[in-house]
Amino acid sequence: MQEVYQATVDALFLLIAADPGIWEIIGISFSVSLQAIIYITPPSLMIAFLLAYGNFRGRRALVSIFHTLLAVPAVVVGLTLYILLSRNGPLGDLKLLFTQTAMVIGQMILAFPIVVAMAHSALQSSDRVIWETAKTLGASPQRAMITVMYEARFGLFAAIVAAFSRIIAEVGCSLMVGGNILHHTRNIPTAITLETSKGEFAQGIALGMVLLILALVLNLFLGSARYRFEAA
Amino acid sequence: MQGSLRFDNIEKVYGDRVLLSIDTFRMNPGECTLISGDNGSGKTTLLKIMSGLLKPEQGTVTKNEITLSWIKARPILQSESVYLHQAPYMFDTSVFNNVAYGLRATKVPKSQMEERVWQALRWGNLDHLTPRNAKLLSGGERQRVALTRARIVNPGFLLLDEPTASMDRGSRQQTYELIQRLQREGMSIVISAHDVEAFSNIVDRHFFLEAGHLHKVDIGTKQHKHKSNAVVTPFPKNR
Ligand SMILES: Nc1ncnc2c1ncn2[C@@H]1O[C@H](COP(=O)(O)OP(=O)(O)O)[C@@H](O)[C@H]1O
Ligand SMILES: [Mg+2]
Repeated sequence: MQEVYQATVDALFLLIAADPGIWEIIGISFSVSLQAIIYITPPSLMIAFLLAYGNFRGRRALVSIFHTLLAVPAVVVGLTLYILLSRNGPLGDLKLLFTQTAMVIGQMILAFPIVVAMAHSALQSSDRVIWETAKTLGASPQRAMITVMYEARFGLFAAIVAAFSRIIAEVGCSLMVGGNILHHTRNIPTAITLETSKGEFAQGIALGMVLLILALVLNLFLGSARYRFEAA
Repeated sequence: MQGSLRFDNIEKVYGDRVLLSIDTFRMNPGECTLISGDNGSGKTTLLKIMSGLLKPEQGTVTKNEITLSWIKARPILQSESVYLHQAPYMFDTSVFNNVAYGLRATKVPKSQMEERVWQALRWGNLDHLTPRNAKLLSGGERQRVALTRARIVNPGFLLLDEPTASMDRGSRQQTYELIQRLQREGMSIVISAHDVEAFSNIVDRHFFLEAGHLHKVDIGTKQHKHKSNAVVTPFPKNR
């Protein structure tokens, strides 16, 4: 107990004293996960829209495929990507294994089905009347789509936040394709996993607190946005 | 609307139910037509077809004596008409932005846009509500926003789906007045309603929709205006 107490005090000290080592790790986490989210958001929202409003064969099958992909464990994504990117793998020539780019790709694969599935349900439950109103007032299909998305923005925002929360705390894939290399691919979850196993409790607790605070902030933010929306 | 518009052999099927089977329906410029019918008789479906929002299984449209297939007619219907939902959707933004929507969507230059929106807001008696969020308005105010938002794009014809259903008396009266103003401005209008009394005084023609067919209702004699004792004559085939 004494040990945990001491480690927590050390952890707070690390954070408050802005220990460069720890902030570098935090920076890598945010940089990788934000890139992944930024790249997948536009295509995921488009696909979610087509799944909700499109009228083509195989639409339902596609929706269930995306729901199935939600359940794929991060280590399985990591393993697959590892095999593809390893020196003898089909994409080995790209020399991406153990780089931040590989981590970004892995997190994109993890975030993609989350945003599609959650954005799809948000758009599916949005009112068809929105689309018809936009169309009848002369909007092009693209413009009508943007209007529908704007009206469903809180649901879409929740989808993006949920995906971000998942990938920034995800360890399996980042560890496999990133390799936890200090100053390079060591991010919050890989640092917690590996450094804690070496007895570095303070750092682990400090990083864990960062993830908790992030989760808290994102949820408060979402909650207040939703409150404003429902009050309207 | 320039020239008349005629719909022929419109058929709409849901499952194995033939909901609509309209031989012919003609709209003349500046005319105001009432389509009445029970709940579920297909009024909404018919108005959405006429606005190009919904595709019938069959049907042609004749404009300026040129008969068009549905595929060809649909974009024309979409650009000429505005359909107003029974419960109009208010975009989650100010009244100003709601009214400006159609002008922005059709890329009217900003300099012209603002002036036209203010003019429209005055027309709809909405000046004092301009900055308010349209979602927070009362039913009658929403209907006024919806009518103003439709009129500003200068449609060839307006399709009003039960415009006074579930409204209190005061709002209903305001809505009738706006519709009559649109009529005086020469707008071609089709109104659907299942309670016809109020509208039968202001329309030029009245049809009763039943079992998928439109029947012309005589509006000459006042006591026949009630649906239950309306004089119903089949609509003449091919005019
Ligand atoms: N998308 C749909 N699929 C199946 N049935 C529908 C659909 N839309 C409307 N209907 C049916 O068509 C009938 C007529 O609907 P509607 O046009 O809304 O009538 P009204 O406006 O006169 O009340 C109703 O019985 C309704 O259930
Ligand atoms: Mg209806």
